[in-house]
Amino acid sequence: MHRDEIPPGTLYLMILKTLARRRELHGYEIAKTIQQNSEDVLQVEEGSLYPALQRMLVKGWVKASWGTTTENRRARFYRLTPLGRKQLEIEQSQFERVVNAITRVIQTA
Amino acid sequence: MNWLIQFLRRLSMLFRRAQFDRDLDEEMRLHIELREKEFREKEHSETGFPPEEAHMAAKRNFGNSLALREVSHDSWGWSWFEHLSQDVRFAFRMFAKNPGFTAIAVLTLALGIGANTAIFSFVYGVLLAPLPYRDASRLVVLNETTPKVGNVSVSYPNFLDWRTASKAFSQMAAVQQMGFNLAGASVSQPENIVGGAVSPNFLSMMGIRPLLGRDFDPSEEKAGTAPVVLLSYPLWQSHFGGDRGAIGRTITLDERSFTIVGVLPPDFRWLDKMDVMLPIGVWATNNPDATDRGARGDNTTIARLAPGVTFAQARAEMNAIAAELAKEYPRQNGGGGVAQQSIRDAYVSNTRQALLVLFGAVVFVLLIACANVANLFLVRGAARTKEIALRIAFGASRSRIIWQMLTESLVLASLGGILGLALAIGGIHGMTRLLPTDTFAGAAVSLNAPVLLFVALVVVFAAFVFGLAPAMHATKQDIQSELKEGGRTSTAGAWQNRLRAVLAVGEISLALILLAGAGLMMKSLYNLMNVNPGFRTHHVLSMEIDLNPQRYAKDPAILNFWQQVLDHVRALPGVEGAALGTVVPLTGNHSRTDITIEGMPLPKPGDWPHPDFHEISPGYLRTLGIPLLRGREFTDADNEHSSLVGLVNEKLARQFWPNQDPVGKRFMFGHPDLSGKNPPKWITVVGVVADTKLYGLQNPSRLEVYDPLRQDASSDMNLLVKSNVDPAAMISAIRSAVASVDKDQAIFAISTMDQLRSDSVATQRLTLVVLGAFSALALILAAIGIYGVISYSVAQRTHEIGIRIALGAQRGDVLRMVLKQGVQIALIGVALGFAVSIGLTRLMSSLLFSVGADDPATFASAAILLALVALFACYIPARRALRVDPMIALRYE
Repeated sequence: MHRDEIPPGTLYLMILKTLARRRELHGYEIAKTIQQNSEDVLQVEEGSLYPALQRMLVKGWVKASWGTTTENRRARFYRLTPLGRKQLEIEQSQFERVVNAITRVIQTA
Repeated sequence: MNWLIQFLRRLSMLFRRAQFDRDLDEEMRLHIELREKEFREKEHSETGFPPEEAHMAAKRNFGNSLALREVSHDSWGWSWFEHLSQDVRFAFRMFAKNPGFTAIAVLTLALGIGANTAIFSFVYGVLLAPLPYRDASRLVVLNETTPKVGNVSVSYPNFLDWRTASKAFSQMAAVQQMGFNLAGASVSQPENIVGGAVSPNFLSMMGIRPLLGRDFDPSEEKAGTAPVVLLSYPLWQSHFGGDRGAIGRTITLDERSFTIVGVLPPDFRWLDKMDVMLPIGVWATNNPDATDRGARGDNTTIARLAPGVTFAQARAEMNAIAAELAKEYPRQNGGGGVAQQSIRDAYVSNTRQALLVLFGAVVFVLLIACANVANLFLVRGAARTKEIALRIAFGASRSRIIWQMLTESLVLASLGGILGLALAIGGIHGMTRLLPTDTFAGAAVSLNAPVLLFVALVVVFAAFVFGLAPAMHATKQDIQSELKEGGRTSTAGAWQNRLRAVLAVGEISLALILLAGAGLMMKSLYNLMNVNPGFRTHHVLSMEIDLNPQRYAKDPAILNFWQQVLDHVRALPGVEGAALGTVVPLTGNHSRTDITIEGMPLPKPGDWPHPDFHEISPGYLRTLGIPLLRGREFTDADNEHSSLVGLVNEKLARQFWPNQDPVGKRFMFGHPDLSGKNPPKWITVVGVVADTKLYGLQNPSRLEVYDPLRQDASSDMNLLVKSNVDPAAMISAIRSAVASVDKDQAIFAISTMDQLRSDSVATQRLTLVVLGAFSALALILAAIGIYGVISYSVAQRTHEIGIRIALGAQRGDVLRMVLKQGVQIALIGVALGFAVSIGLTRLMSSLLFSVGADDPATFASAAILLALVALFACYIPARRALRVDPMIALRYE
């Protein structure tokens, strides 16, 4: 199966969106959710998730706390903050603007 | 707000770094494990992996976890800090491993930085610290100028006319200095205090508000105003214990009650001492000087430039006003003009030049110190090439290593800076003690915040100056050859030797500049100290007594007081002679007046002979040791009942009675009254005395005349006492002798004449001592520098020298070979320093006395001294070269 790299800059958007749908997720779940929701077309370069999450922590978009998984493993769970929710809207509208613009360019060409 | 929360978040991460790393590790490990598990579970399906492959695949999928960890870490923005603290720790480990190197480097830097700090604290305190006035740059100090003596005080009528006529100044104020006796219950011993009688707008013009009480009212400018004072903060503290209830009470000055209306703020500063401030109307009351256009006493005139007016525009306007006044009052103002200077210049006067010269010198010292430490770093860098090559091989970037080495420099410079601060405290203390107490008119010289900021900048500057070249150099080498060879025959060696030689040349040329400067100062001070002042200072004590005009209103009372004081003091054991005079040489005090020589053609206004005059008691010449060249000195018979007599100095006699005997000739004070109403009061010359250096040893003698105190009574005199014991031991006995005449009479300005003479050259002496210390330091550092270069090159060439000796080279050949490099460095350094210093010493010419700024003898001595020291420094390693045993040297190969 062919898998595509995610376009640069959209990793934040996808993490934010993923977390917005679910209450809280740990890193592996985030990666897996993105992969599944894209029907396996998009694949997060798995490790790069973590620096991105750190940057989002610094910016205050997400919060992290340690808990246990259903299989009783210790894991760090991330959840969206109100600031993160706001950021999601910004990123989303920005993304749509860009995509619409690109689509228009491609279609008229 | 948001950035602050972010910053706090980052900060909290910084303090829990270890926890952070553990969390991240665990999180990543979990991720890889879960992925691996997934892969394994797919084992049974068609896409499944065998167990060992599943682990590898999961790791591959994840990416470089080490690098990712690093990137995650960096996203908190602390990597620079972590690198820094890592580098600092590493630097301290390196220093602990090389205690000798560290000690020498830190000490060298401490001397350089400490010297800079000490001098800069003077430069800041005196030249840079803001003056405590509103908009001080717009304040201008005004003086009158006369053709005969240059700057003089402004007479009060002229001040009033200036103020009315001037448009360039928004405000103008006069400050008249007055002395008072402060006696009574509040003081243990009568004392003299200095009052400033100011125009009522003075404080508001300066932007000063009284700490307590009120400012003066415009109505207090008129003569006859009620006697009121503002106390200075120190006087309020010392005499009233800082009691706020002092306002409204009275203080007794010269037996008059003054109502205290306020207290000046603690940071109040003025050009002269000012213990109390009073309205100028008090000064003008019953004061003939207030209406005498020719009376130029102790007045300082200060003005504030009007908005938008430049200094030059104001000068032009004032010149026009002065020309107008000179036309109107030719007798008092003829030939006169106006001098203006900024208030900063009025404060700094002649110390600016000395301070700037010392500051320049101290920068050179720092550069030499940096060159020396750079040299040390280069030597040690050579020993570290292998370590650095190894680190580059392991993937450290060049910039990372340069930063690491610069951090080492910075740590070293900081250690030097801390030690330097301690040295600076001692230096400031020592320099302050070399200066008369009031040299800087209240400037605060201390390690204050701006000085500490300067030190921090110097530390960073020094770290870059001595650290950058060695760091760049150390990372430039060819890793391959370093790792293989162990660095002995590295190609970078030649480059490094050249750099080290250049540094040594620089050090020597800077040292020569300092040596030449110190030499010039030394010669200058020697010349000054050998100037014949025209009087003897040894074992002579001087003090001032200013009689209270209430108690001593009439001449007989005044003369009676002086006679009694002389009688009592002369009777003291140990006293060889005592006398009174109105002006003590070298104190800066002076009285001058126009005189008319009998029979001379009347000169134009401004061209009259304008000598210094002294009212003296009999015995004055003997007490001060002023030689009598002709005729006789005054005796008790020259008194209010006898005919008027006078003495003139040699210069005046030569000028007005050339080739004649001045004894018997006549002159008079002031100008003849052409209306004939007042007959001239001719004074007959009875003797000629030697010229004296009234205005300091470096200044030429002026015309001088003397007349007897009894024929021209003065209530403000200096008592001069010559003793055959230490004059300082006489002070209390003299005090009681004066107190036995009048227990309320203050005695002040007590000083030995030796001290006055020494104080008069204090600036030059301080410059010499400091420059001398700097140049000695520079000499030592430069010697160490050249020694380092030569001894390192001998160590490098041991093998070569061994071969030469084995092949039969003579001792002389080896010595010549080694010394050749040293001589080259020394000669180039001396030549370079010579060229630069010829240009630079010209900047200090105003500090020099009867020696040219390009004095060949001084330059030659400095060059020879430096060359000899440099050669000696080379000779030590050269001797080591002679002892090279060819067998041992060759075996090392």
